[in-house]
Amino acid sequence: MVQIIISSTGAGGLAQWVLVELQGEVEPRQSGGLAGSLLGDLHYTHEGIPVLIVGHHILYGKVVQLEKPFAVLVKQGGGEPSPAEPHTSYTVTALIKTKLLFKTRPKPIITNVPRKV
Amino acid sequence: AMRSRVEVDATLQTAKLNPMELLPVVHCLSFGPQAGTGECYLLQLEPGLCAELEAGRSLVIRGEKDEQAVLCSEDKTYDMKIADTSNMLLFIPGCKTPEELKADQASCNIIHSQIAGFSNNYWELRRCRPKLKKLRKLLMEDPYEGPDSQKDQTLTFSKYTIEDLLSLIQASEQEILHHLQFIDACKIEGYWRILEFDYEMKLLNHVIQLIDSESWSLSKVPLRTCLEELGSLEPTEMIEHILLSYGRKYVDIGEVYFEMHEDKICRAIAQMLLQNAVKFNLSEFQEVWQQSVPEGMTTRLDQLKGLALVDKSSRPETIFLLKVEDLPEENQERFNSLFSIREKWTEVDIAPYIQDLCAEKQTVGALLTKYARSSMQNGVKVYNSRRPIS
Repeated sequence: MVQIIISSTGAGGLAQWVLVELQGEVEPRQSGGLAGSLLGDLHYTHEGIPVLIVGHHILYGKVVQLEKPFAVLVKQGGGEPSPAEPHTSYTVTALIKTKLLFKTRPKPIITNVPRKV
Repeated sequence: AMRSRVEVDATLQTAKLNPMELLPVVHCLSFGPQAGTGECYLLQLEPGLCAELEAGRSLVIRGEKDEQAVLCSEDKTYDMKIADTSNMLLFIPGCKTPEELKADQASCNIIHSQIAGFSNNYWELRRCRPKLKKLRKLLMEDPYEGPDSQKDQTLTFSKYTIEDLLSLIQASEQEILHHLQFIDACKIEGYWRILEFDYEMKLLNHVIQLIDSESWSLSKVPLRTCLEELGSLEPTEMIEHILLSYGRKYVDIGEVYFEMHEDKICRAIAQMLLQNAVKFNLSEFQEVWQQSVPEGMTTRLDQLKGLALVDKSSRPETIFLLKVEDLPEENQERFNSLFSIREKWTEVDIAPYIQDLCAEKQTVGALLTKYARSSMQNGVKVYNSRRPIS
């Protein structure tokens, strides 16, 4: 039987990440793929409301403390084939206890000024 | 090139947002180099699991290729499945919440955060019953028949250590160890073994005979004397094991004693009698049974819950062996099996045969509501199958 270990180094080694939940899909603007490309600017109002500016849109969201946190797992033992059964394992890289939920319809930014200032 | 504060401010101006209404720090989000590679997975944690991981403890996913995978902590088991969301989930290291920003009076006003990955699904867990039926099945491949048995002299590969069991059973270690104790398994030479029933009865009988000949109280059976008197007949570990299986161990003035379980002994003797035929005349059985148990013990039919079933509709009334551990493990299959044995059940009769299916905080009544249909028969509430049973 397969036993896949999910190991953790304990609180000291676990980063705290944040989840951002957006409607729709993420697509690269250029054909070169996503790596390295900008998503947008994330601001917070004084009341703690997250404001995300993505392209021509303004998204308003809210900070949610997750009732059920997430663990972020990274697969180990990448693709070296061996005569024995490949041993898959995962390590927990981070825990996510907070998410920024953007559910409102994006507000388009109407501009009639050049993009570069 | 990384975005500059000037560019951020320009975007704010274009967006007609008032910087005075915003905290001074901005996160510029971009996709990290590994973002699209799909090497990161999200696992939603049930209560308690977050603390397990923070304590540095591991979780294990277990399952054969043809089994539905489960995730186990040290003492709990969870069904796993993939949950899809229609939204996009981005996971971002180093992204601060408003509280963290307010608390941290940093001098910078721009944080460049790289999105580590994104997903539109995550692994979802649901606490489930550990799949322990296989444990008994494995141990029954080669029950221990005693040191004199010819079988044990030959090499046999149907013996399992706890490590073997952990690699074969979809359950947590604590649940496996607990079940081993529940089924009175014992460790012999490092392997977990279940006793062959006849051998178990032989051992029990030695103890019962000794209690009788020594005129001991059933609640004060001394370990030392048992080992001295019976040690020539059977291995001392086996004598101690049978006392532990059928009694409660305690210490009195430095000596170890056992308070024998009347119910469990009567039940074992009933099984010994019932396994020899398909069914028995109830009143004849009850007479023989009472005569077969140790002096001072009283037999009662409720000692046989989950072991035997009385047929009150036959004339004369009969009783037959029906062991809950022989029935299917999965809920619907269990009910199908029970309804094919008997069409209509009272709650009292069926309860011992479905009690083990109850999830945490679930009642027998709730199970019956879900898997059975009720009706009245002669003024008594009975349950039958929701669907036709062939």
